[in-house]
Amino acid sequence: MRLSLAALSLFALSGAAFAQDQVRIGVEGNYPPFSQVAPDGSLSGFDIDIANAICEQMQAECTLVQQEWDGMIPALAANKFDMIVASMTITDERRKVVDFSDPYYDVPSRFVAAEGAFEGYSPEELAGKTIIVLRNSPRAQYLQATYPDSRILAVDREPAVYLELAAGRGDIAFGSSVVSAEAFLKQPEGEGFAQVGETLTLTDSVDGGVGIAMRKGDEALRTRVNQALAAILEDGSYAEMAGRYFDFDITPPHARQ
Amino acid sequence: MFHGYLPMILDGLRVTLSVALVSLAVACIFGLMGASAKLSASPVLRGIAGAYTTVIRALPDLLLMLIVFYGGQILLNRVAAARGWDYIDINAFLAGTITLGFVFGAYLTETFRGAILAIPRGQIEAGHAMGLTRGQVMRDIVIPQMVRHAIPGFTNNWLVMLKATALVSIIGLDDMVHRASLASAATREPFTFYALIGAIYLAVTTLSILALGALERRVSRGVRPEATA
Repeated sequence: MRLSLAALSLFALSGAAFAQDQVRIGVEGNYPPFSQVAPDGSLSGFDIDIANAICEQMQAECTLVQQEWDGMIPALAANKFDMIVASMTITDERRKVVDFSDPYYDVPSRFVAAEGAFEGYSPEELAGKTIIVLRNSPRAQYLQATYPDSRILAVDREPAVYLELAAGRGDIAFGSSVVSAEAFLKQPEGEGFAQVGETLTLTDSVDGGVGIAMRKGDEALRTRVNQALAAILEDGSYAEMAGRYFDFDITPPHARQ
Repeated sequence: MFHGYLPMILDGLRVTLSVALVSLAVACIFGLMGASAKLSASPVLRGIAGAYTTVIRALPDLLLMLIVFYGGQILLNRVAAARGWDYIDINAFLAGTITLGFVFGAYLTETFRGAILAIPRGQIEAGHAMGLTRGQVMRDIVIPQMVRHAIPGFTNNWLVMLKATALVSIIGLDDMVHRASLASAATREPFTFYALIGAIYLAVTTLSILALGALERRVSRGVRPEATA
């Protein structure tokens, strides 16, 4: 009897310690090569690798929760998970409702169009044309502000930007240079299309780029995540993971040598 | 042809059907309560049922679902924090089925009310005059005929609700539409997967129409087909 009581209290104690170190991570699954779902339902991609590496570094017990992009921040606010690792660009607008970690990657944006379709990509040259872009993104805001005379076709997922372009529902697409390169231009559907114009970095401060979102005021978690991030950038595991997906540098500016 | 995603999508069908069937059961409960309240003698009950059908039918299903899932969760978190409880999760299945059931309950309230009103009042009075109890009148006269009158409207509501389950993917439920969207993103073949689930929806609705049609014929035994003029 005494033994079982002792075992029980030990169990309760370890249970409490365990519960503290459980971290639920919201991920997406609709954003190859950052996150995608295999036929058996398993998640893979750069975001997923980063999430797992950070967990390992924090020595936390992690659960990945797959969530549609549109419900991401509300689900975080409603405590459905504790942080978001879903290629979320750090913006002032989002900073009003969530806290961000240091950036974990930074990717410039670029136009994609049929080869030779345009001579230039200034607001005047694209006036009256339809530009396809991911809705609720900094890129969409940038287009609205900079290309007021163009028609904006806002779609709900980044891969759909290129599907719409290939389907001819817009003249030109504006998106992440990584996604368009990996998920479209390297595929058969992307034949005849190319990245065109300047590469644009929409995040002008060191704080820009893509970060991990957490509930406002969750400082303890934020500190741990930042330490874990710094550690994997330092020990080379970040470069190793990035190398699996990209043949160019996506390291955030603040961590570049 | 489906790059191995077929089992995953069929598993999504299981989720879609479970959401739809559980929501239907919840909707029937709300519908029966609503219809009884609307036909009751109490002005308070009539008022509540009237407000229910008016408000619910006016608001988009998606809006209600987001209110329950996120709004309800935040409310529950505040209550839990104030009382020192642990985090209680409103799961997506529960939120989805309760919301859909609550929404379609309002439509079914009207279907059931109309079906009850279609029974000639004289039959019920005749039942009472024959010395049948209220329960017997309900069981032997009202319900069998109500079912017959309600089936066409019921079939409609079921078909609309089956498709409305696609909304639950926004609140994180892994239904068939959601899986098709994941598969189409991974393979970049949207047409293949959306056409596939389109065919599956069509198959399910066709089976439902056949089954409910058979049920309608069964409960209409001995009833002369009403003149169609």
